[in-house]
Amino acid sequence: MIAGAFQKLGQTSRQFLPALLTILYILVSVLIWPLPFVGAVAPSLGLVAVYYWSVHRPDLYRVPVVFLLGMLNDIVHFLPLGLSAFVFVGVHQLLHAQRRFFVGQTFYVLWFGFGLIALLSSFVNWTLLSLIDGRAVTVVPVVMQYLLTVAIFPLAAWVLIRVQRAFLMQG
Amino acid sequence: MSVHTNRSEWVTTTAMSWRVMVQRFSFVLFLAFSVGLLVIGRSNPAAIEHVRSRVMDGLAPTLSLLSRPMAMAESFTGRVQSYRSLLEENVRLRSENDNLVRWQNAALAMANENKELRGLLHYKAEPSLAYITARVIADTGGAYVRSLVVTAGSVDGVREGMAAMTGEGLVGRVVEVGDWTSRVLLITDMNSRIPVMVTDTGDHAILTGDNEAQPKLLYLPQDADVKVGARVMTSGHGGIFPPNLPVGVVTSLDHGEITVTPMAAFGRINQIRLVDFNLAAGAVNPMTATVHAESSTRR
Repeated sequence: MIAGAFQKLGQTSRQFLPALLTILYILVSVLIWPLPFVGAVAPSLGLVAVYYWSVHRPDLYRVPVVFLLGMLNDIVHFLPLGLSAFVFVGVHQLLHAQRRFFVGQTFYVLWFGFGLIALLSSFVNWTLLSLIDGRAVTVVPVVMQYLLTVAIFPLAAWVLIRVQRAFLMQG
Repeated sequence: MSVHTNRSEWVTTTAMSWRVMVQRFSFVLFLAFSVGLLVIGRSNPAAIEHVRSRVMDGLAPTLSLLSRPMAMAESFTGRVQSYRSLLEENVRLRSENDNLVRWQNAALAMANENKELRGLLHYKAEPSLAYITARVIADTGGAYVRSLVVTAGSVDGVREGMAAMTGEGLVGRVVEVGDWTSRVLLITDMNSRIPVMVTDTGDHAILTGDNEAQPKLLYLPQDADVKVGARVMTSGHGGIFPPNLPVGVVTSLDHGEITVTPMAAFGRINQIRLVDFNLAAGAVNPMTATVHAESSTRR
């Protein structure tokens, strides 16, 4: 009986794992890393998480949740509130529509798909921010962030794959 | 039988299309919410600011916890590096120390002279600056915004507009204050404008960030003759900052674009000092502040 209750509790809490891991990724992306090259421009880890869970567990990752995660990303990164929310929700919907293309593909296809999505979201971010600021935002750091984010994708996604295999396979 | 299958098919397809519709509807709804928020943020930034500082206050313990191992690793790598270069470092520090002792003597002599001259002029000395030291728990280091979050807020006496410094020089300005945390906009951020002075020539200018590592000097006078290596300090114009805080050094002049390399090493800032300037509405730099203290103990 107690074991059953615990199992139930475990199953319920597992449903929050994708959102919780996204929050963790958003927070980790603003830490000060003791590495020589990271710091000036940090990769947008939040986007990696949104991409991964939108493809693999959209049932645990509904639009309102993605919206709230986007707001959190805006607050933590000091971006205009609504910007990441817009991008995250857009990415989520795009992946929802194209999900058949991504599911069951090799890792390289997943990586390539992320490259496209990250490019698109960088472009949308840049355009919206330039509109809001009324002048063109400097492009070089945006490109650097894009490259860094795509480069860190295998590592960041690997952690999420591990977590999914360990806790979210049967659900 | 076939009717039954058709019916269950019908049920599944209706359910499917219903789900697709809900998904689409919520997508459009939340996309509209996002745009709405962007518009509100533009027209009423104060409301958003309030929410944002509250959320950051709430996140502070988690961020603080997560940043501990990072800070430890940082100090460890720093220690390994300093062990490796112990000998050369020692030689360098010895010569620097000789140099500094000479400067200290000069400063003390000047402070005495200054005191006598001030006595002659009945000059009212300004109180020294007060500092609030805080730990950095987040560095957005993003492509769009350059800012830090520090663990000191209104409870500790932090106010909007305070200057943020490291031991080396100015890093930014407090733009948002929560109860326990504050947000510092770095001088490299695109929206940062700091009134500065080039010390060699006394020319005034505005230090402007552009999200890259080195901010630029804008609005210099036409006849200004700025040279590479000139030091840049806050001018105190506009009343945002106290004057004479060290900011950086002019490192390149490229087709009228004057680049300043900040004194502070961005990207590895773990501690920060917030300068309480309204307390001392005048020109006191940290050097003279310590000299004051020393001369008063001698009396």
